[in-house]
Amino acid sequence: MPSLPLLLSQAFNGLALGSMLALVSSGLTIILGTLGVLNFAHGALFMLGAYAAYVTLQGSDSFLLALLVGSVFMLLVGVLMERILVRLFYSRPPEDQILVTFGAGIVLVEAVRAIFGGNSQRVPVPSWGEGITQLGFLIYPTYRLELIGIITVTLGVLWVVLYRTSIGLVVRAGIEDAGMVGILGINVRRAFLLVFAIGVVAAGFAGMLYAPIVSVTPDMGGSFLVESFVVIVIGGLGSFPGAVLGGLIAGEIISITSAFDSAYSEVMLYAVMALLLVVRPQGLFGTEGRV
Amino acid sequence: MRRLALLPELALIVALAIMPFVFPYVGGSYDLMERVLDWGLLGLGFDLLFGWTGLLSFGQAAFFGTGGFVAAWLLVNHVIGSVWIALFLGTVAAGLFGLLVGYLAVRRIGIYFAMITLAFGQMAYFLENSPLSAYTGGENGLPGVPVPTIGFGDSAYVIATGLPMYWLLAAFFLAGFIVARRIAHSPFGVVLRAIKENTARAAMIGHAVPQYKLAAFVIAALYAGLAGGLLGVIQSYMPPDAFALDTSAQLVVQTVIGGVGTLIGSTVGAAIWLWLRDNLQMIPQVGALWKLILGVIFVVLVTVLRRGICGEIRYRATRGTRAAAEAAAQADGATRPATELRDVRAMPMPLTAPLIHAAPGLPALRAIDLAKHYGGIRAVDGVSFEVPQNSIHAVIGPNGAGKSTLFKMLLDEVHPTAGEVRLFGQRITGMGATRTAQLGIAKSNQLNQLFMELTVRENLRIAALARRRGSFRVDILRGADSIAEVERQIEAAMTTVELNERAETPVHVLAYGEKRRLEIGIALATGPNVLLLDEPLAGMSPTERISTRALIREIGRSRTLLIVEHDMDAIFDLAERITVLYDGRWLAEGTPEEIQRNQAVQDAYLGGLHEHEPA
Amino acid sequence: MSLLEIEAINSFYGDSHILFDVSLHVEQNEVVALLGRNGAGKTTTLRTIMGVIAPGSGTIRLDGKPIQGRPPYEIARMGMQLVPEERAIFGALTVEENLRLAALTAPSAWPLARIYEAFPRLAERRRSGGRSLSGGEQQMLAIARALIRDARIILLDEPFEGLAPLIVRDLVRVSRELAAQGRTIVVVEQNVVAALSFADRVYVLNNGHVVFEGTPDDLHRDPAVMKAHLGV
Repeated sequence: MPSLPLLLSQAFNGLALGSMLALVSSGLTIILGTLGVLNFAHGALFMLGAYAAYVTLQGSDSFLLALLVGSVFMLLVGVLMERILVRLFYSRPPEDQILVTFGAGIVLVEAVRAIFGGNSQRVPVPSWGEGITQLGFLIYPTYRLELIGIITVTLGVLWVVLYRTSIGLVVRAGIEDAGMVGILGINVRRAFLLVFAIGVVAAGFAGMLYAPIVSVTPDMGGSFLVESFVVIVIGGLGSFPGAVLGGLIAGEIISITSAFDSAYSEVMLYAVMALLLVVRPQGLFGTEGRV
Repeated sequence: MRRLALLPELALIVALAIMPFVFPYVGGSYDLMERVLDWGLLGLGFDLLFGWTGLLSFGQAAFFGTGGFVAAWLLVNHVIGSVWIALFLGTVAAGLFGLLVGYLAVRRIGIYFAMITLAFGQMAYFLENSPLSAYTGGENGLPGVPVPTIGFGDSAYVIATGLPMYWLLAAFFLAGFIVARRIAHSPFGVVLRAIKENTARAAMIGHAVPQYKLAAFVIAALYAGLAGGLLGVIQSYMPPDAFALDTSAQLVVQTVIGGVGTLIGSTVGAAIWLWLRDNLQMIPQVGALWKLILGVIFVVLVTVLRRGICGEIRYRATRGTRAAAEAAAQADGATRPATELRDVRAMPMPLTAPLIHAAPGLPALRAIDLAKHYGGIRAVDGVSFEVPQNSIHAVIGPNGAGKSTLFKMLLDEVHPTAGEVRLFGQRITGMGATRTAQLGIAKSNQLNQLFMELTVRENLRIAALARRRGSFRVDILRGADSIAEVERQIEAAMTTVELNERAETPVHVLAYGEKRRLEIGIALATGPNVLLLDEPLAGMSPTERISTRALIREIGRSRTLLIVEHDMDAIFDLAERITVLYDGRWLAEGTPEEIQRNQAVQDAYLGGLHEHEPA
Repeated sequence: MSLLEIEAINSFYGDSHILFDVSLHVEQNEVVALLGRNGAGKTTTLRTIMGVIAPGSGTIRLDGKPIQGRPPYEIARMGMQLVPEERAIFGALTVEENLRLAALTAPSAWPLARIYEAFPRLAERRRSGGRSLSGGEQQMLAIARALIRDARIILLDEPFEGLAPLIVRDLVRVSRELAAQGRTIVVVEQNVVAALSFADRVYVLNNGHVVFEGTPDDLHRDPAVMKAHLGV
């Protein structure tokens, strides 16, 4: 039985990992819910964000600048990807959509490998995140705490956009019935572009934030891709609250299990997913019948 | 019984025979060829799953790795001495794992299925890496896998690396190909294709779709397990990346590039992939870019040339026959009204499997107090009626009356909230549409539910195979057209709906009226005792209506018919009895004359029973 | 020049030929009823006018300008609005959000207060989720969405279907008020009595063909037509 400080520190790690998964999966789930496309390139986009931060930090010391430049870059990538590729596949069967985003992911990963090589790059922790913080009897790296904070704010912004703005209204209605949204005078295709771009930026932003605490390689996105799939299955396909809650749950499952036996940490997550599929396939917030 | 054309098998034998003498000159080594064939073996199973059944799995590595590591572990730890037995056990282990994962995965479709297979693939990878590393060697894998021997004792022939190992792989691949091809062209394979083309219709015709999907999944897992075991033998080492996501991904890319649904496609794709990898890496500038180039090719292929290399070749090769069929369909004109009276006696009728022994007075179909509630909405409420054997019965009612819901409950496509349905006295409520189809009740749909990419004959075969074989049978070794009774039933159904001249035409080419007739033909080809027709005349021109009415009348001579229609002329002409529904409830019933005289029915159609002039 | 002119439209569903050379015209401020049995092509006609289905041939003119083949959002912005048969209320959104969404691209959108004045029932339920509304409330919300856009032409597809008599009476009153306000309405209905109670002119469709055109009185004077195409 692991000690209390270890469990607590793992619980915080779970929050850090979980909030990161929540952000990545939010992007994935709103793309899936609105456009109906399961974006297999999502892990590659996460990786692309990390490299965008790395590149910016070669020329500047400001991590905040890296976040800003990186986000603009990811927005461009999202717009280009939707306009050039994804848009062609809206009326094609889901298998084709999966294959093309999967292929796009491969192209992105290999392009990055060709430019930067396969070695792991280092993104330094920003100066305002260095060191450790005392939380009662627990000592915890400062940056990870700030990470949780930044992502919480980001998810909050995303929530405001979805639930308090007109574009959010269009997205939530479009998830249910894109045709009727068109009849009410709204150009849904343009909304699709925006949704895809938001999803891509979310993935990339998570990658930028996570870069200082993980090794930045072209293949870093692979495991996050699969984990985010598990998260949206747990949370319910197309549900933003589901992605957030599911991400946190997934993060905690992985981290706390590794306190007991690190060999099983990932396996436990998949076991939970398998159980959920049998007992409640629509997930926490998903709608039945969409399965 | 047509013998399966052996051209592909012979061509393969020739190709495999000359390969070792040709390949070294184009930059191939024995090792490369063996790997290509190993990937090809893996791909045969994957193509049956994806190309035939339409299930895109991103987790085949789980079974590839399982087969490989079980076989390797048994051999390296001297539990089993014979490589052949170890390979066999590895394959079985992979099949069992496939049964487990498949059971969870096949209940879901499309997106969910891909995600579940992906997740299980990763799960297997992590299991191999850590918890089970004592068995699997973790990151190091299992070295020291022996090569197989033929014979016993000192005179046993050792299959060494090099040419003998190549022949071993070639032999396994050839055997795998022959079996895969037989599966593809068996009745089992026909059902798999039906599932890919139109899953819902396949289930409604009477095929137990979940079981077929699971069987296809297990078959793919078995192929993967054997390929995994052979990989360990080729390399004398079982690598951990057999379980990696990259392996599953590479399989998908290779198969798409080579051509999904061609069986040989993934072998061609593997040859391209491995050849590029081995040879491009030599070129200084391009070297590291080989995977990027392949990725771009893949994206372009998926977007534009969906058929892949072998698929494209096959498409162009058969272009001649296809163009002929389309021209023939066009030349005859969109509709051919059958205004000539046909000689009824000369027409062979589709066989009705006499599974039900019916006493003369027993109603063919009986609805007892059927109700369907959705939350607070009562779509159907307390509807009862009887349909005598061999009669034509109609159900009419204004929109929202609950007719389509009623029809669905009669087949048990939808379970009633209350009440039951009896087919020849047997309660069928709760059985589901697949089982009721097997018992002899079928429906033709208001919106065509056809297998669009297949020919008319193939469409009818899917239907005719249903009751003849039962809801699930793994008859993978016989020819699809080898059951004489089934072929006769197809001919009879085709003749009844007058589509003989379109037998080999792909359905998407047919005119609308012909598709409508095929829709009825498919229901007829299952040999039902009771046939439900849901708006059979929907969308038809006046001339088409005349011929279809004649068709319905003829079909009604030999079995019980239940029709929903809005074309009142047709209803009053065809029906012996009419049931009127209003607002989900039974309103009236009687002969056509009685219904026409019924004032309540008139009121219901014109303004609702409770309406008088609104204030 | 008619406000809405439909000429020789042929519409398909897949390759099922639903409308055969259908021609209609709708004048400013008129209420035109489209009657016929189920499957006659009434809903297809409305969906073709709104651009949800692109016709195979024929023209549709709004204010003299051709609109066939244009996407629905463009036609909506020209002042036309469809209230579909299934109502298509967004269940995940509240009543108020449904209305705000509808008002987004309408230049002369009504203020919410005015809508709530016209539909007090909706005001009571403004924060309720769409999926918790009763059938009658959903129909009211669907009509309110067209109203908040200040649509000049409202296409009503079976507005009275599946509703209790009292609610139908309410809705007929609402429809009459809309007509009195000077809007142009095309209503598709199977409930002949209710539709005729506020229509100026009537078309009858059967199997995708127009088989009758005239006033409600003309129709009442011709029981053969009623029986052949509408009744049983």
